[in-house]
Order: sequence, then structure tokens, then C-alpha cells
Amino acid sequence: MIAALVMAIAVSGDLPLADPEKEARAQSLMREIRCVVCENEPVSQSTADIAVDMRRVIRQQVMEGDTNDEVRKYFSDRYGQFVLFRPPVTGLGLLLWVFPFLLLLGAGGAIAARLSRTRKKHLAPLADDQVDDSAR
Amino acid sequence: MIAELGHLLAFLALASAASQSLLGFTTGGVALRRLSIATGVLTFAAFLCLIYAFVTLDFSVWAVAHYASSLQPIIYRVAAAWGNHEGSMLLWCLIMSGYGAAAAIFMRADVLRDRALGVQGLLTTASLVYLLFASSPFARLFPAPLDGGGLNPLLQDPTVALHPPMLYLGYVGMSFVFSIAAAGLINGKIDREWAKRTRPWVLVAWSALTIGIALGAIWAYYELGWGGWWFWDPVENASFMPWLVGAALIHSLIVTEKRGGMAAWTVFLAVLAFCLSMLGTFLVRSGVMTSVHAFAVDPKRGLILLAGLTIAGASALALYAWRAPKLMAGPEFDPVSREGALVLNNLFLSVGAALVLIGTVTPMFAQALNISISIGEPYFQLTFAPMMAVLLLFLPLAQQATWRRAEISPLVRRLWPAALIALVASVAAYFVVGKSIWIVPGVLVGLWVVLGVGTDFAKRVGPGGLGRVFRLPLSVWGMTLAHIGIGLFVIGATTETVARQERTFALGPGQSAHMFNWDFRFDGVSDGDGPNYYATRANISITHDGKTTIIHPEKRFYSVASTSTTEVSIRKTLEGDVYVALGDTLRDEPGVWRIRIAKHPLIDWVWGGALLIALGGFMSLASRIRRRERVTEAAAETPPAVATGDGGEPAGATA
Repeated sequence: MIAALVMAIAVSGDLPLADPEKEARAQSLMREIRCVVCENEPVSQSTADIAVDMRRVIRQQVMEGDTNDEVRKYFSDRYGQFVLFRPPVTGLGLLLWVFPFLLLLGAGGAIAARLSRTRKKHLAPLADDQVDDSAR
Repeated sequence: MIAELGHLLAFLALASAASQSLLGFTTGGVALRRLSIATGVLTFAAFLCLIYAFVTLDFSVWAVAHYASSLQPIIYRVAAAWGNHEGSMLLWCLIMSGYGAAAAIFMRADVLRDRALGVQGLLTTASLVYLLFASSPFARLFPAPLDGGGLNPLLQDPTVALHPPMLYLGYVGMSFVFSIAAAGLINGKIDREWAKRTRPWVLVAWSALTIGIALGAIWAYYELGWGGWWFWDPVENASFMPWLVGAALIHSLIVTEKRGGMAAWTVFLAVLAFCLSMLGTFLVRSGVMTSVHAFAVDPKRGLILLAGLTIAGASALALYAWRAPKLMAGPEFDPVSREGALVLNNLFLSVGAALVLIGTVTPMFAQALNISISIGEPYFQLTFAPMMAVLLLFLPLAQQATWRRAEISPLVRRLWPAALIALVASVAAYFVVGKSIWIVPGVLVGLWVVLGVGTDFAKRVGPGGLGRVFRLPLSVWGMTLAHIGIGLFVIGATTETVARQERTFALGPGQSAHMFNWDFRFDGVSDGDGPNYYATRANISITHDGKTTIIHPEKRFYSVASTSTTEVSIRKTLEGDVYVALGDTLRDEPGVWRIRIAKHPLIDWVWGGALLIALGGFMSLASRIRRRERVTEAAAETPPAVATGDGGEPAGATA
């Protein structure tokens, strides 16, 4: 009886938490924390022993009420930024996050500036078939 | 003996390819056509020799000894021929020379074709030199072993056997797009005619690439045993970058073909697509990153690949820099127009490709600076996905905008019902599916695209009704199907990502698990052996709605490679897949097994969407072929005027 109770409380690497919301949160964390001995795999999909361990730690911490950031920090403190598939939002990482949007705004702005300087209201619209007809 | 024959044939192909490039830049003509076809045929014959060596298990050939084994079923011996670095390089050469041969057969003979075949000959020569001198699949091994190592068991699967040929058909197909772009630049003519003749090649390559990527995703989904299908792994990104640039190219080619605009940008994309294919190959094969695709990692090969990439890319860009300023700008257009919308499409798709490139190479550069970071799913979900969502919001509007200048108000009048339905449905989806707020933008964008494209299609059909549906041009069908495919894909991918559920149970014989109104009773495991593996098969009866079926998810152990794989069982339902995988037995309780049960909602929408995209591409291609016949007929009626129309001038005479 007591053994059964202990088993129910102890967090196993691969058995889910009782609270579905916490379990979902744990699973989403497992998808962004990297298995440290595998090739490019998050712990959620690895069969390595250490990944099983890492899954257990994640479930344990989520069950104890740690926030996502606390769990991430726990792992990055031990294994470095490498362990997080989500790059940090500081330093070089910040550049990484904003660069695509800067590029989009920059290139888009340049194109928009060039095109809108020359709005051509006088042009008559051309339907698809008119364009096809004029094609060789 | 056959291996030596293959080696000889590959050398002959090399000689043929070298002469092809020589003739391509000089006299051209019938001899060039014959040589280009010969290059393709010789490479194909060499490839057949390699397959023969694999099928007959000639273990004195190094590649056979390493990647085939006598226990392997025959189809996987064939697949093993390209399931290794050397063989896949021969496949690369085959597809490259095959595109050359196809162009020699299908393209009208003129200076553009000649130069394109010349450039393709150069690329093929370089590839064959690399093959023969740095990674020959025909190298012998002495003494020959009694049996071989066998294909990586994970790759012993029908889907993934077809994945490399399809992927290469796309990836390497971009080489001919590159060649025809270079040829156009050499001739100094990037015009409507050039665009018209380039487009079919982009469509073939890009549609094949779509299927190749989808096959890889499907394989990952059911073979790796945990149900994911896209990981934003560098290897996947390597194939996704040319796909994105190819998609941008297909759209910018429309502007160049229909209006003569965006010529410089279009030809730049055509060059870029193949450069990204080569970059991808370099990343995968050089060993700068590790993955299931990095079969034989060798820094020397990486350097050669990098050199090839640099030479091809730099010379194309130099050619481009020389010619691009002289290319004529197209006719003017208002920003609010079909042209404007297609510029927007190209902006987003190229920034998207740049984003994927940055996300892929940054960790490698950071590593060189001793900074260790990883970039994966969360990054791309928060950057790439919203960017593409914004792009797709414009899609239905773009499809209906008129050329040169478009009126907004008729579009709004026509499309507001689609927008309203998509909005309501996306909010409803949140309440039905729940889980995450991300479902709302996904369903909104996807449904808006599907309904908006449907509205456009209905308008094109017009009041004529059903009879007109099948008389619409194939190009309209192609566009409609591909765009509906994108919409369905977005709905499927978002729903699957947000609402997938999984649970692992520890079950002893006779115990049951209950999940989403399904009962799973575990009846223990039994042994089952395959040709080259031992299997542990679980017996699980599933009861749902009073109906019981029995499934057998497996774990396989491949003794030659000493690797285990999982074979999952998948039950298809209307809502999605119920996915059951057998895990390990518990260490302290041998009769109890871990069984992973998951539900992947709307996963078939993801596959179906990708398939529709490829189908749309192939239909647009078919419309080209049909039109070409019609043009040829017309030309036959009035021969002299058309025949001397273009070509003929020496290279570079017209700019």
C-alpha cells in the first residue's frame, strides 16, 4: 500500500503529471530543452538515458510550481545556453530575435518609399486575360 | 567487373560533360544536343552499374560493403545505393545531367539553350570530377568482407527510400534554373521570352522539392516514434531555404513573363536558389553539423564543396553585377496592383529565407567564437511563423488584384464574407480546441486563404456554372490548388502543434489505458522476426464506439547495425491520427511496458496541404506544356517570321 503510494507521488521520467495543465507545460518545455548527448534533438524525442532524466527533472520542477523561466534557467546554469533551443533575448541573442524584423522593415520600407513616391493613379487596370493576350 | 564498367562510364560521362560545356559556349547545334543527351545517358548507365553492385551484393565495392547487407530486402539494397555519401553524389550527377538531357530534348534550339547547356555542362563536369576524384562510389575494397554493414535501419522504409531522389530532383533541379539564368545573363537578355522558358524548369524542380521535403516530414512523423514532423533542424532548413527562394522565384517570374518587370531581381533569385542548394549540401556533408544525413563526414570533402560553392556563386554574382544594371526596367505600375502584391510576396519570402539562413548558420559561427547557443523550434515559431502569416493575409487580395493598378473596393466587396467566416471560425476554434491562443491566428489565416482563393475561383468560373470549371486554364487550377494547399497546411500545422496530446502509460499484461474516449488494452508482447531484425510486437486492442481492433506497435532491433527502431501503429480518424508507440520495459518490472499514446489532430491536412502545393506546381507546368504545343502549331502555320525571332546574335551583343 505504502509502496504504491510512493510510486504514485514520485515523478517518473516518462509518466505524466496528474494535473493536465502542468503536464502540458512540462511537455512544451521538453520540446525546447535540448538533449545534451544527442544530435540536435530536444529531450522530448530522445531515448537516451540522460534525456529520460532531464524529462524527470522538468516534470519535477513543473510539479513543484517553478515557472518556465526558472526551469530554463536551471538547465542553462548547468549546461549553458546550448541546452535551450530558444536563444536568449540578451546580447547577441537579442540581435538574432530582432534582425529578421529589422530586415523586413528596412527592405520593405525602401521598396515602399520607392514605389509610393510614384503613385500612378492615371494607369488603367489590366485584367488577367488582357495581360495574357499581350504576351507572346 | 560491373563496378569498373560503372567507373568507366562515369569517366565517359565526364568527357561528354566537358565537351558539352565547350560546345555550349561555342558552336552549339545538333552536336551539343546529342552530347547533352549522351552525358545524361552515360551517367544513368553508371548509376545502373552501382545499383547492380548493390543488388548483387558485390562486397568488394567499398560502398556496398558499408551500406548493404545480405539480410536486406532487395528494395532497400537499391535504396542503399543512394543512402550513402558516394552513391548520393552519383545520384546528384545523374539528376544534374538528366536536367541537361531533358533541356536538350525539350528546349527550342537557340543561343539561350546552347549557353544554358554549356553552363549545365560545366556544373556537371565539376560534380563528376568531385565524384570521381574525391568520393567514388566504385572504389574497391581488398580483401572483400563476407557481408556488409547494411543501410542505417532508420532509413529502411519505403518513404525515405524515395525521399532522396525527390529531394534531389528539386535541389539539384535548381542547377538548371541557375544555368538558364547564367545563360540569359551571358546573352544579356532577361526578358519575357526568357522568363517564359525558365518557368517550367523552376516549376518541376520546386514541386519535386515540395514532395521531397514532405516525404522527409512524413517519415520523421512515423519512424522516429514520437510524432514530430518538423524540427527546424539545420538539415531540414537546408532544404527549406531553396524551397522558399524557389517559391519567390515562381512568383517573380510571373511579373517578368507577363509584364517584363523585375527582371534583375528574378534572375538574382534564380542564381540564389541553386547557391542555397549547394550551401545546404555543404552544411550537411561537410561535418560542420551532425545529423542523420551526414553519412561520411570528411573535412576535405567539405572544403571541396565549399570551394565549388564559392566559385559557382561568385562567378554567377560577378556575371550578375556586370549585366544587371543593363537590364531594362519593366513598364510602370502603381504600388496597389498585382505587380505590387507580387513584390510584397517576394519581400516576405526572401526575408523568410534569410531568417532561416540566419537561424541555421548562427550557432555554427557562434561556436567558432566559443559561444555555444542553440536555435530551434521556439525561435522559428515566434519569428518565421508570424511573418508568413502576415504574407498569407495578403494572398487572396493579391490573387484578385488587377495588373498595373488595382481598385481596392471591389476586392473588399468580394472578399468580406470570406474574411468574416474565417474570423468567426477562428474564434470558435479557440473555444472548441482550446489549449492555446495561437490556434486563432492559424485558423484565421488558413481559412481566409482557403475561402478567399475559393471566392476567386468562383469568380473566374463565373455564371457559366459547372461546365466552365473544367474549361478554366490549367494555370488557374494550379494556382488555386497550390494556394488552397497552403491554407489547409497552415490550419493543419497550427492545430497539430497546438492541440497534439500525448501520454505515456506503464502497462502490464491485461491492463488498460483510457484516453480521449478510446480504450487501449495491453495484452503483452510477442516476438516477430523480419528479414534483418528481431521485433518485439505489442498486442493492444483498441475499443472505440463499441468497435474493437487490434494493433501491433513494434520495437525492432537490427543486429547488423545493432540499432533499435520503433514502428508505431497509427489509427486514422476524421479528427486526426491516434498514434501508439511501444517504449521500453520498466527496469524493475520486466512485464510492464511503457506505451506512448498520442493524438495528432488534423495531421493529414499537413500532408494533404503539401501534396496540393506540389500538385498545383505540376498543373501549372502542364499548362506550360499545353501552351507550348499550341504555340508550336501556330508557329507551324506562319513559319518564317517567328523562326528567326531571337537567338542568333553573338553572346553579349544585346543588353
